[in-house]
This record gives sequence, structure tokens and C-alpha cells, in this order.
Amino acid sequence: MFHKALWMQNYKQSKLMVWVIFVIMLFHFPFNAMTTVANMEEQIRLSVLHSYDYTPSGLHAANIFNGGALSLMMIVSTIILASLLIGVERNTRRNDFTFSLPFKRRDLFLAKWLFGTLVIASFHLFHFTLGYVVFSFSDFGYLLNEYGMIELYLSPLLSFILVFSFALFIGTVAGEMISQVVLSFIFGIFPTGFFMLITGFFYAHGGRAIYTYQGIEDELVARLTVFSYPFVHTDTAEQGYPLILMIIGIMVLIYAGTALYNRSRVEHNGEFLLIKELHPVFLVGIVICFALLGGFITSGLFSWSGSFRLGMYWIGYLTFGLFSYLIAKRLLSMNLTVRNR
Amino acid sequence: MIVEQITKSINGKTVLDNISFEVKPGSIVGIIGRNGAGKTTLLRILTGIMDPTAGDVQIKGKSIFKSPEVKQDVIFVPDSSEAMKNYSTRELVRLYKSVYPRFDEVYFHELMERFNLSEAKKIKNYSKGMKALFSLVTAFATRAEYIILDEPTDGLDVIVKRRILRTLVEEVAGNNVSVLISSHRLDELEYMANDVLIIKEGLQDSYYDLDTLKSQYKKVQVVFKGYLPEDIKPHVSIHSQTGRVYTLIVDRGNEEADKRIRGAEPLLYEELAMNLEDIFVTKLGGDEFVS
Repeated sequence: MFHKALWMQNYKQSKLMVWVIFVIMLFHFPFNAMTTVANMEEQIRLSVLHSYDYTPSGLHAANIFNGGALSLMMIVSTIILASLLIGVERNTRRNDFTFSLPFKRRDLFLAKWLFGTLVIASFHLFHFTLGYVVFSFSDFGYLLNEYGMIELYLSPLLSFILVFSFALFIGTVAGEMISQVVLSFIFGIFPTGFFMLITGFFYAHGGRAIYTYQGIEDELVARLTVFSYPFVHTDTAEQGYPLILMIIGIMVLIYAGTALYNRSRVEHNGEFLLIKELHPVFLVGIVICFALLGGFITSGLFSWSGSFRLGMYWIGYLTFGLFSYLIAKRLLSMNLTVRNR
Repeated sequence: MIVEQITKSINGKTVLDNISFEVKPGSIVGIIGRNGAGKTTLLRILTGIMDPTAGDVQIKGKSIFKSPEVKQDVIFVPDSSEAMKNYSTRELVRLYKSVYPRFDEVYFHELMERFNLSEAKKIKNYSKGMKALFSLVTAFATRAEYIILDEPTDGLDVIVKRRILRTLVEEVAGNNVSVLISSHRLDELEYMANDVLIIKEGLQDSYYDLDTLKSQYKKVQVVFKGYLPEDIKPHVSIHSQTGRVYTLIVDRGNEEADKRIRGAEPLLYEELAMNLEDIFVTKLGGDEFVS
């Protein structure tokens, strides 16, 4: 997995996204630190000029380093990076070239993971350090005193690596780039999204939320949702266990990803899914989820309860269910392989 | 290279069934079969791109699937250079040098010069013929013992094609390289190949050296007083017919066929030279063969 050729190959096919990640972090850490300091100075100047109270916010300072727009952009960019490393190979003949090389598939997968992880970790370290130095040497550096390195540095970094590992794992199941991206987003929010749709179903039928275990259900669902990790870092610092969950998650995803990549059925490259046996599961899953979403949306259009709202729920449910069935059937039988000479 | 009982099923359909053969050092093996017979699938299995459902491919006693490092001796040249299109020639040389320990850069430049190939900033800037030539040049420069080619001359002009074929034969003769070629160009294979593997609907029809294969059949031109007698038809393959002039392919082992032809007292009986195309037509599909 430390083979020079694989590093060259991985960089070659993903370099655009590598430098996009570099720029995202450049803007979000050092530039953001500079503009936040400038904004705070300007706010103080204005508050003196117009005689009003202004207290710089520690939360504002912490958000330079974690959460918010950075998390959102990193989720999108790491997923695209993962899809350029695996998915795009399956759309083209590059996969043939990669698999014909004298390397174990395990090493090919681990080289991709290590490449992406090192890109994320090294750029993050570099820009974080620059941003941290800029802000801590400003007049507002004291604002960072209430935050530790776990919530400012380690937790966001691990959460980005977790999302990347997750998207790379999805790449071992998906048959091509677009399905890898789409499935990464769907399964990245799946536990929370599905829980919301199920509660929506019960609400529409006159049910109400009963928290038998004092809200542990919500906590559990959030912890199972990969995309929740890049946005919440205070809990991580306070309780510690989300940090361990992220590390376990990354390890499980590497292990499962390696195992599945090893068994890649190249003959299904370009199809929505690489594992044909999953087609019925996905067909049923897609239809149920979109039907629930349809019911959730149409019933949400009416604020009053009763049979009319229930009727609307089922109209939405059946309409979305029908169309998602027709689209999913086509989706699962498509093949997006580019075969140029 | 030993190919042992390769079977491949895709979507529950067996596309290759029990293919076995051995590639001897310094030989050229032609793989022929009709469109969709499973030739490309076989080549992809031989290079470890695709896993077989059953069977194994061994090089120097080691399975390429369990010990892929033995593939340092195998280079696959697909029918498209699309995977390489964004690389520059220099980048590709660097990449190949790090993958194939015996990559010969001096020989690479010598071949580039011989074929008048200039360095390119991107392989996709080369013309179709130049791309095919470049793929072969890099393959030769790896000094791999086995070169696997999928339709290497498809779409190339005659001059480029000749140069490629000549270089291939020189490589095999001079460097003891073994070449496996899947091609529809039977005339080219006949010019180069020592051995021929015929695949018919995923099954191994035969694997012989070309001369043995040709000696199994004879091509005869016959003219009868009337049309071809019905009792002969089940024993021969009709290669072509012009009026009452028939060209027949006859299995040399089928004495009954010869007896019946001569028994019908033909006005003309003349044996013609067999070529690979005749064998292809006979074995794989009669008049409606695809070439």
C-alpha cells in the first residue's frame, strides 16, 4: 500500500479534488481566522463609536476550527474525493488498468484510504496551525482558552476521516461514481432520516412520541448517523466516547471496505450496484423510504389533523412509492461505463 | 503460464466453461472466437482484472490471484488506452518504472524513435494509431515475459499495422517473450501465431498449434454433374458455392466423407490450401461468420 506507483496513480486521478480540499481549508482556517479577527476589531470600533455593548463570542472563534460551513464543505469534498478514487475507475477502463497491476487488491484499497486520509490530515494540520497561530496571537486569542484541542482539532479531523472512510466503503458496494456519491449522502444521513420518516408515519396516524428511555433513542440514532459527527464536537470533548466511536467506525469501515474491495465483481462495473444480490433489498428500501418521504411531505402541507391529513399522507405515500419504484427499477438496471478507444 | 479449468459465470450465465491451456515461453497464442464468445472476459481473467468463478491462472507455479506480485511478468494492452489518456509520456514512464522492475527506459526511447513517436503532454493528444503503438511500446519496454493484447491492430492503417506485427514477431524471437492475442484479424494471426485457442460460446473448442489445426482439415473444390448429393452434406462443411462449383471443408479423419465424394464421381476434385479463416468458418459458424 506504500507503493510509489499507487500514490502516483491515486494523485493523478484525484488531484483536482485534492487541491479543492486545500483551498477549502485555506479559506476556512487562516483566511477565516484573519477575517474573524478583523470583524471583531471592527465590531469593537463600531460599539465604541455608537456606544453599545459588544462582547466577542468564544463560539464564533471556535467555529473557525470546527462545525458549520467547513463541515458541510468537507463532507461534500471528501465524498467526491472518495468517488474519484474508486467510483470513477468503475465508470471507465481505469479499473482494468488498476486491477491488472501486480498488487493485492487489499493494498490497492488501503493505498486509496491512506492517500485520502493523508491529504485530509496533512492539509488540516497545516491550515489549522496557521489559523490557530493567527487567531491566538490576536487580541482575541483568549477566546480559545475555553476550548481544548479535542474539540478544535482532533474531533473535526477524525470526523472528516470518518466521512471519507465511509464514502470509500460505499465505493466498494456502488458500481460507479454517481451511485457512490448518491449512496454516500443517503446512507450518511440514513439513521436520522429514516427515524424522522418513521415518526412522521406514526404522527400522521395519530401517534405521539413516547421516550421510554429518556431521549436515549435520539442519541442512539444520532450516533449511528455518520454525517452527525462533523457537526458536533462539544459532546466529544465532554464525554470522550464519540471520539472512540469515530475511531471504531473508521477501523470497521477500513476492514469491511478492504474485504468487499477484495471481492469486487468487475463485470458489474458501471451498474448502480456492484453486488447484484443487493438489488432486491435496495429496490424495496428505496421504494419504502421515498413512499414515507412522500407521505411526510404531503401530510406536512396540512397543519390540522384528522382523516383528511391521513388521506393526504397515503396519497403522497402511494404517489412517491409508485414513481420511486419506476425510477429505482431503471436505476438498478443502468450501466454508465465510458468505452472510448 | 498455465491456465487451469477457468470457468466464469456472469448473472447466472456461464460465459466461459472449463478453459485450460498452457502458454509456452517464446510463443504467440491467438485467441479466436465469434463476437461475444468470451475472448475479452478470458483476457481479463488472465490478467487478474476479473476473478474466475472456478479455476486458476499460474505463472511460475504461483496463482496470479493469490500472489498478484507474479503479474510483474504480465502486461495487458487493452483495446483502448482510455485509462491512460490524461498521463503524459514521461508520467507513464515513471509509473511503469515503479510497477515493473525490469522496465527498460533505454529500450523505450529506442522504440519511440523507431516508430517516430514524439513525447506527448497527454496520451489523448496522440492519434488512434499512435495510441495503439505507444501502448505496445510501453508494453515491450516493461520486459514482461507475457504480453496480453486485446485487438491490438483494430482500426489501424495497413502501414502501422505491419510495423506493429513485425515488432511483435521480433520481440518474441529476440527476447523470448510470450504473446497472447485476441483478434478478429485472422490473416494477422495466421502470420504470427504458433498456437490457436478457439472459443465457441464460452467453451474451449480446441487448442492446437496452427499447423496441426490446419492439418486436421482439407479444403477441396469439387464440381458434380448436378448439385451436391444430399448424402454428402452431413459429412462436410460447405465453404462456398458458385453454381455447381463447391468448396468444401472436410475433416481428414472422416473417411466416410471422402468415400462418398469420390463415389459421386465429381467432374473436378482439387485440394486447395487451408487458411485460418477456413478453420474459423468451419468450426464457428458457416457462411454467416463474423470477422
